[in-house]
Amino acid sequence: MDTRDTESGTPLNDTGTDTPLKPGQGQGPQTANGHALQETAHATTTLQTRPAIKKSNRTTSPFGESMRRFRHDLRAMVSLCFFIVIIIVALVGPPIYQHIGGTMQSDLNGPIGPTIYHSYDHQELTRQYEGPSAQYWLGTDNLGRDLFSRLMQGLLVSITVAFLVEIVDIFVGVTIGVLAGFYGGAIDIFLARFTDLIFAFPGLLFVILLSGVIGTSTSDLLAQLPIIGPLLGNGNAPLLIVSLALALVSWPMMARYVRGQALQIKQQDYIEAARTVGTSNFRIIVHHIVPNLFNIVFISATLNVAGTIIGEAGLSYLGLGVRPPGSSLGLMISDGSNILNIHPWVAFLPTIALTLIVLAISFIGDGLRDAFDPRS
Amino acid sequence: MAQFLIKRFIGLIFIVLGVTFITFILGYLAPGDPIKETMGDHFNLQTWEHLRHVYGFDLPWYQQYFNYLANLARLNLGTSFHPQQRPVWDIIKDGVPISAELALWGTIVTLLLGIPVGIWSAVKANSWIDTLNMGFALVIYALPAFVLAIFVQFIIVWANNEGFAWPVTGWGTPWQYSWSDIQYKLLPVLTYGAAGYAYYARLTRTTMLDVLRQDYIRTARSKGLRERVVIYWHAWRNALIPLVTVIGLLLGLLVTGSFFIENAFGIPGIANIMVTSAFQRNYPVIQATTIMIAMGVVVGNLLSDILYTLVDPRIKVE
Repeated sequence: MDTRDTESGTPLNDTGTDTPLKPGQGQGPQTANGHALQETAHATTTLQTRPAIKKSNRTTSPFGESMRRFRHDLRAMVSLCFFIVIIIVALVGPPIYQHIGGTMQSDLNGPIGPTIYHSYDHQELTRQYEGPSAQYWLGTDNLGRDLFSRLMQGLLVSITVAFLVEIVDIFVGVTIGVLAGFYGGAIDIFLARFTDLIFAFPGLLFVILLSGVIGTSTSDLLAQLPIIGPLLGNGNAPLLIVSLALALVSWPMMARYVRGQALQIKQQDYIEAARTVGTSNFRIIVHHIVPNLFNIVFISATLNVAGTIIGEAGLSYLGLGVRPPGSSLGLMISDGSNILNIHPWVAFLPTIALTLIVLAISFIGDGLRDAFDPRS
Repeated sequence: MAQFLIKRFIGLIFIVLGVTFITFILGYLAPGDPIKETMGDHFNLQTWEHLRHVYGFDLPWYQQYFNYLANLARLNLGTSFHPQQRPVWDIIKDGVPISAELALWGTIVTLLLGIPVGIWSAVKANSWIDTLNMGFALVIYALPAFVLAIFVQFIIVWANNEGFAWPVTGWGTPWQYSWSDIQYKLLPVLTYGAAGYAYYARLTRTTMLDVLRQDYIRTARSKGLRERVVIYWHAWRNALIPLVTVIGLLLGLLVTGSFFIENAFGIPGIANIMVTSAFQRNYPVIQATTIMIAMGVVVGNLLSDILYTLVDPRIKVE
């Protein structure tokens, strides 16, 4: 009977004979029972006369399993590839693009090279609304600016804002969530009230409030900061404000997820075991709780990126985000929407780009959630 | 049930205080001096100090906050900054009925279209109808409101070029429904309700599927009841509960959407006024519109809680 089981390849128990259970791996019985099951498995395999099945090199850690599930999700993988392509284009596209093309004889500016006319803020007022051509790969907008470089700059802005927001979101959200879940008490109450307030106060409302109150005047101030000042020139200073505002309204959600997960982890036996041995609270948090938050933080952050990109585009659309001559997807859409009846392409290009990015991130997030948390 | 409502009400008071405080403190901390800007070239130190005293800008912040709250309670929203110098209420009062109308119709569209589509998809689960509906809802939900608005406007513009005469932007007379008014209002309302529609369609489908798997549905069917009765009487009433709890989220979606829809379609509602005043750094108007919108959300949440106690009989027992 035992040999038949092993011949057919079905493992006799979940843990298998490959790797021993590690604390934190799986939610099932761990200490005494786990060992007991393992011993039975070892005992059975020594009875068989034929050599055991060839050990596969497949990793059995939960992370590995989840990654494997993710890899098999076609929609998520395609979206991930698309997203990586977008990031690469946004980062290295502009420098490369600015070296493609010969010198152009501009009507107003004399002979100029691609470094100038392929930059996102250079205006060629005699060449408005052109369609895609060899020189301007995706055409020009209402001020004769190259749409392709504006698109790339807009993508860069979106990615930068999303990155900044997620960093703050993860750090603040995880810290406060873990403290609220682990210690409870005052921090927990504060988090609950604050989350209620943020939920009652629709995020965008607050972001517009912040941008309106702080936005315009501080951009001049920010442009004078020592190191990051020049980066923030050109109408990009509102980026920092926008990122701050968006991060402020997204961390409560992350903190809530983390708090729930931390509460769950706190109940586990190995936490109590660690406490019995005398591990300090700090070490418990850092070594046991935080690593097990990885799944939920990862999923939550990815799903939040889509909302952040939409938020930034929306703010720029309303005129409260990146200002001209800077470029953002929302700003391009807003500029193009005035001329929809004659030149729809100018608005459609950023619209399609934004749509594709948001859909791609949504699919990636859904795929991650299905792969890492199949119960939900 | 009364206890539940009282607890919620007290929580809401805290939220009201929090919202007014945040709005006030941001205005207080904001850079720029309105009096100086209004005086411009006629700046005179004595007049400046006098005006500061008159407007109460030289009081400590907690006293200013208290005065602000007191004024709010008396429904005095203050005077706007340059260049208008009109009472804030004057500026806002036209926008309130417009935004209210838009929100009302948007909610109706969401509920009247979203819920039936959700039920239909649940009943025909995993068929091509289901996949089509849910795919459509997913795309609409993922797209931001202004993107949808652009698509809709493009379609109108293209139709206009073909000889159709449909207005692209603007809002007819508030709360009037002549044919011209309907022409103005139909598409913005549909676009406005689209995000909510997608959310409700997906949620209703999930909830209905859960409910249809329950034992009491099987009992109802084995009793020989007609399928229609089973679905609309037994299943749907139980699926209502999560739908009602989610009205708060719907309000959030509505508020967020309103900024973009009003901007894209040129509707002079409250959200549009808020954006314009944010642009002009007209703090009293920003504060007033923020508080109005936040109060709308708060009241809506309270209504949804009341509705929830009516719909879920288990609450009465607690």
